[in-house]
Amino acid sequence: MQVIVSVNRFNPKDNNGKYWEDYNLEIEENATVLDALIKIREETDGSLAMRCSCRSAICGSCAMRVNGHARLACNTKLADMTDEAGMIKVEPMTNFPVIKDLVVDQQMFWDKVKQVSPWLQSEGPEPKGEYVASNESMNQLAGVMACIMCGACVSDCSVMEVDKNFIGPAALAKAYRFVGDPRDSKSVERLGVLNEYSGIWDCTRCYECVEVCPKGVAPMDRIMALREEAISVGYGDTMGARHADVFSDLVEDSGWLDELRLPIKTVGIFNLPALLNFAPVGLRALVKGKMPAIFHHNVPNVQNVRNLFKRVRNDQNKDG
Amino acid sequence: MLEHDVLVIGAGLAGMRAALSAQETGANVAVVSKVHPVRSHSNAAQGGINAALTDRGDDWNDHAYDTVKGSDYLGDQDAIEIMCSEAGQELIDLEHMGVIFNRDDRGLLGTRAFGGQQKARTFFVADFTGQAMLHVLYEQLMKSSIRVYEEWFVLSLIIEEGMCCGVTAFEIATGRIYVIRAKTVIMCSGGVGRVFEPSTNALIVTGDGIGQAYASGASLMDMEMIQYHPTTLKGSGVLITEGARGEGAYLLNSEGKRFMETYAPNMMELASRDVVSRAEQTEIDQGRGVDGCVYLDLRHLGEDLIRERLTQIVDIGQDFAGVNIINEPIPIRPGMHYIMGGIKTDVNGRTNIPGLYAAGECACVSVHGGNRLGANSLLDTVIFGRRSGVHAAGYASEQEFTEFDVQGYIKGYERKLQSIADRQEGERWAQIRNDLGKGMDQYFGVYREENGMQILLSRIEDCKKRYEKVVLQDRGTIFNTDLVFTLELGFMLDCAETIVRSGIERKESRGAHSRTDYPLRNDKDWLKHVVVSKTDNGPQISHLPVKITKWTPEERKY
Amino acid sequence: MKFAFFPGCVSRGGCPELYPAAKKVCAQLGIELDELQDRGATCTGAGVLQEKNQFLGDVLNARTFAIAEGLGLPIMVICSTCQGVMSQANRRLKTNPDYLAKVNEQLSEEGLEYKGTASPRHLLWVMVEDIGIDVLKTYVRRPLSGLRLAPFYGCYIVRPSDDLEFKLYRDREDSLERVMEALGAEPVDFPGKTRCCGFPILTINEKNSVQMVANHTASAKQLGADALVTPCPLCHLNLDGYQPSAMRQTQQDINIPIIHLPQLVGLAMGFDPKELGLSRHIISTKKVLSKIQVAV
Repeated sequence: MQVIVSVNRFNPKDNNGKYWEDYNLEIEENATVLDALIKIREETDGSLAMRCSCRSAICGSCAMRVNGHARLACNTKLADMTDEAGMIKVEPMTNFPVIKDLVVDQQMFWDKVKQVSPWLQSEGPEPKGEYVASNESMNQLAGVMACIMCGACVSDCSVMEVDKNFIGPAALAKAYRFVGDPRDSKSVERLGVLNEYSGIWDCTRCYECVEVCPKGVAPMDRIMALREEAISVGYGDTMGARHADVFSDLVEDSGWLDELRLPIKTVGIFNLPALLNFAPVGLRALVKGKMPAIFHHNVPNVQNVRNLFKRVRNDQNKDG
Repeated sequence: MLEHDVLVIGAGLAGMRAALSAQETGANVAVVSKVHPVRSHSNAAQGGINAALTDRGDDWNDHAYDTVKGSDYLGDQDAIEIMCSEAGQELIDLEHMGVIFNRDDRGLLGTRAFGGQQKARTFFVADFTGQAMLHVLYEQLMKSSIRVYEEWFVLSLIIEEGMCCGVTAFEIATGRIYVIRAKTVIMCSGGVGRVFEPSTNALIVTGDGIGQAYASGASLMDMEMIQYHPTTLKGSGVLITEGARGEGAYLLNSEGKRFMETYAPNMMELASRDVVSRAEQTEIDQGRGVDGCVYLDLRHLGEDLIRERLTQIVDIGQDFAGVNIINEPIPIRPGMHYIMGGIKTDVNGRTNIPGLYAAGECACVSVHGGNRLGANSLLDTVIFGRRSGVHAAGYASEQEFTEFDVQGYIKGYERKLQSIADRQEGERWAQIRNDLGKGMDQYFGVYREENGMQILLSRIEDCKKRYEKVVLQDRGTIFNTDLVFTLELGFMLDCAETIVRSGIERKESRGAHSRTDYPLRNDKDWLKHVVVSKTDNGPQISHLPVKITKWTPEERKY
Repeated sequence: MKFAFFPGCVSRGGCPELYPAAKKVCAQLGIELDELQDRGATCTGAGVLQEKNQFLGDVLNARTFAIAEGLGLPIMVICSTCQGVMSQANRRLKTNPDYLAKVNEQLSEEGLEYKGTASPRHLLWVMVEDIGIDVLKTYVRRPLSGLRLAPFYGCYIVRPSDDLEFKLYRDREDSLERVMEALGAEPVDFPGKTRCCGFPILTINEKNSVQMVANHTASAKQLGADALVTPCPLCHLNLDGYQPSAMRQTQQDINIPIIHLPQLVGLAMGFDPKELGLSRHIISTKKVLSKIQVAV
C-alpha cells in the first residue's frame, strides 16, 4: 500500500526549529509504523533519528506520538492509523525535551522513578530460601512488572503537562509494585512520601495513561489503589483523602452529592483561608443563579441507601 | 579523566550482575551501554531460568547431565558443574532482590517444564521472565548509584602492553569521543542476532563486543554453533516462548499430525531445540508445512492458563500475526535465536587478554556447547556475570592504571570517523547489512553444507570490500544513528566471517551444526572446540579439547 | 423512545441550568424520561468514592442498573463522568460472574438483582446512534451556521475506550463533531478536545486544575472558536466557573463561553436562550448568541 508518513523533525544544530517532513512510501499491508520508519531510515533518509530495538513491544524504546497519542511504533499497525489520504503523523513524545527528531531525553523520567526508591526493602534477616508469598500476590504484581518504562503514560499525562513536579504515572505505578509487594517492609513509609504534594493525590484521574499504556499496566488504577492503601494505613489528612471521605459520607447521607457541602467539608470548616479561596467562585456563581440548591433533598427511601453502605462496610470489615 | 577499576560494557543481565557483584567488593565500577539498561535484549527471554533446588527433591547433577546432553557433549563439563551447582543460590538471591517469580500452592517458587530436561526446573515470571529480571537488576543498579554511561557506543578496546586498559567510546547524543580508562573491562555485550536476517533478536544485537574483542586478539570459540529456535513467527521472526510447549502446546504439520512422534517419541515437543528445529525444517522441506511454516497449537490449554502464564504471547500473536492463540493454531518456523559460541573465557570470565573478561551471550565458557537448553541462557548470564564481576574486581585491586596517550586515541578516532563522514560516493550500510543477513539465513540455516558455506564466505568477503566504501547520509553530531549502524556493520561482518569459517572447519553434525554433507556426529575427530583468532594473515583456526568430568559422550535420544 | 433517565448530581447541583435544558431537548426529540433518582437511584460515586472503596461504588451502580432493569428501560445519562463511571462498573460486573454474584448479594436485602443487561448511554450517543444524524437535522429550526465550536468531550466519555465500547460503536469517537455539524455549526479541532478539564483535582491542587482550564480555553480561542461545547457538567463547572481564575493565573484575556451540549441542541431547535439557562453562565454567552442573531 501507498502511505505518507509525516514526521515532526528537529535537530538543535540546524536553525529550522521543528518542522514536518513527509515521506511517501510503498509498503506491505500488514506493516507496522516502525516498519515504515525503518524503511525510511534505511532507504530514504539516514538522518532520521529514532530509538527502536526489539520490534515486539518489550524493550520500550520506540514510544512516540502517532496521530496525537503516545504509542509504541512497533505494535501499531500502519493501516489502522492512516487517514483517507493514506497519511499518518508521527511526533516525539510530549512532556519530554526533544534531543533530535523522534528521540527524547528521558533523564527526568528516570529521576522521577528514582524518587520512589524503586528497590525492594525487606526487613529482618533474609530467609535461607525464598520468601513465602502467595501466587496471587505475585500475579497481581506481574501486571505492574509488565511495565517496560517506555514513557507513553508520561508523554500523554494531563498533570505533567501543567506541572513538571508531579511524580507521574510511570513512577507511581513503579511505587505500587513495592507497596503491593508482601516482601517489602516499607509500605507505610513509602505511602507517607507518596501522600505528599506532587504525589498520588495530584493525579486528575483522566485515564490518558490507561488508554495509551501498551502493556495494560493501567498506571491510574495503580494510583487509585495507592490512594485506597494510603487512606487505609491512616494517611487521611490530605485534601484528597478528605475529599474522598466527605464525598462518600454525603452520598451515604442523602443518596447523592451535596456540592455545597463537599468543598467546605473537604477543606475543613475551620480552615478559613481555604474557605475564603472558594468564596469568589461561590459569589460569582450565586450572582449568576448557578449555586447548588441550599436545601439539599434526599433520594426517596434514603434509608435503604444508608443501610446498604453500612452492610457493605460491615461485610468488608469481616473479610478483613 | 574518566576512570574506573572495573568497566562493564553492556547493561543486560550479565552486565548488571557483573557490575553489582564487582561493586560489592568495594571496587569503583561503571557500566557503558549503547542503550539504556532496560532496553537491553535480555528482555526478550520469555520462558524462565533453570535451577535444581535440592529442597524440592531436584539434584543439580541431573540438571548438569541434561545440559551436557543438550550440548551434544561439546559443553565443558567443569563449567557446566559450576553453573548448575550455583544455580539454586543464584535463583534465591534474585528472588531476594525482588524478582516476582511465579509461586506454587504453598507460596514457594513454582516451576514449569522446559525442553531437553527430565524434570520441571524452570522458574518463571509469566512469559516475561527476562524482562522481570532485567528490571529488578536495574532497580538494584539505581540503588547502587553505579555510574552508567548511557547511550555511549564503544568504538574499541584499548590494549597497551598486551593488557586491556579501557575503551574508546562516543556519546551518541553529542557525538563526542571519550576514553574511559579501566583496570579491567568486562564484555557483556550480547550476541550476534542481526548478522542473520530474520532473527528473533533485537535490532541492537550486532555482535559489537565479540567483534571488538576479536579485533583486539581475544580468541573466539564454538562460533559455528548458532541456535535456531523452534517457534518464531514468519516474516518478522518474533519469538514465541518455549514456555508454550512447556505448558503443553502441540506442534502440528499440514496434516494435523503431532510430527514430533517421529523424531522424539519420548520428549515429543520438549526435545532439545536443535532436535525440534530440525524436525520442523524436515517437515517443511518434505512438503508437510504450510507456507514455509508448521503450527503451534495451544487451544487445548484453555483460556485461563494461557492468560495467566502466557500473557505476552497472546498479544504477540494478535499484534504480529493477527492470530488469537486461544482459538486458533499459530504458524511458526525455526528462526535464528542465539549463539552458543563467543569470546573464549574460563569459569571466572577471564579471556586470553589480561584485564579483559567476558560474560553472557558474547562469552563462551562453554556451558552450552553445540546446543543451549531453553532457560539456561538467563542462568548463564547471572552466574558468569556475577563470577566475572567478582574476579575482575579482585584482579583490579592488584593493578595500577596503565598510563597511555589518551589524546592519541581520541584524535585517532576523530580522524577515522571524519574520514567515514567525508566519503561522498558509495553504498549505505543498510544494503550491505541486508545482503549479509539474507546470505547467512540462506546458507547457514538449520542445515548447512560445504558449497553453500563457501559461497557465503565469498559473499562476506565481498561485503567487506563494499563496507570500506560505505557512505553516510547523516554527517551531523547529534544522535547520529546512521554512523552507529555503520560502525556496527563492521563488527557484524567480522562475526559473520568467524561463524562461517568455524562452520566450514567442523566437518561433522553436532548440536545446532547440522551438515547435510556430514550428517553424523564424529566423536573420534570432532569432540573438540573450534577456536578462531585474528592474525595479520586473517583468521587463524585452532582447536581446544572438551573438558569431560563425569559424563562420557553417548548417543543422544529424546 | 423511552429511557430510564439518570441526570446525575451536578445537572441539578452545580450546573442547575443543564437539567431543564436536557429535559426540553429530550421532549422535543420525542424521548420519554422515567427519572431514576425519583426511584431512589444514587450518585455513581464519580470515581471519587471509588478511590476509597471501589466495591461499594460498584454496588451502588449495580443497584441503579437493577432499578432500570426493573423498569424494563435502557439508561440515559447527560454527564460524561456518569457515563464513564457507570461503564467501568458495568464492565467489571458483566465480565466477572463471581463478582456480580457478590455484588447482588448486597442488593438482595432490598429485593434487587442486577442481571447484567444494562448499557448506559449519554444523550450524545443516543442522538447519534438511536435518533441518527439525519433525523436530528430535521429538528433544526435555527441553524447555527457561522458558529465555530470547539468540542470538549470530558475524559470519561472517551477513556478507557474499551470500557466505552468504542470498537463496537465507531461513531462515538467523533460524535460531538457530528452533532455540531448536524446543527449547522463548524467544529474546530483543537488539542484540548479529549483532554482533562482539571476538575477532579480542583480542591487538591487548584493551581494545576486552573492551569488546565487556561490551556484548553486559550488554545480553543486561539484557533478561532466562538465557544466550547461539552457533554460533561463537571468540565463545565471548571471551564466556566474557573475561567476567571485561569485568566488571573495566566494573566491573559480568554473569556470564551462554555456551552452544555443540550443547550446547543436546544438553541438550534429554536428555544429561547433564557429557557436553556444560557444567561446563568459565569462567562457570558452574549457574544456567541449575537453571532447567530439571538439576544439573551
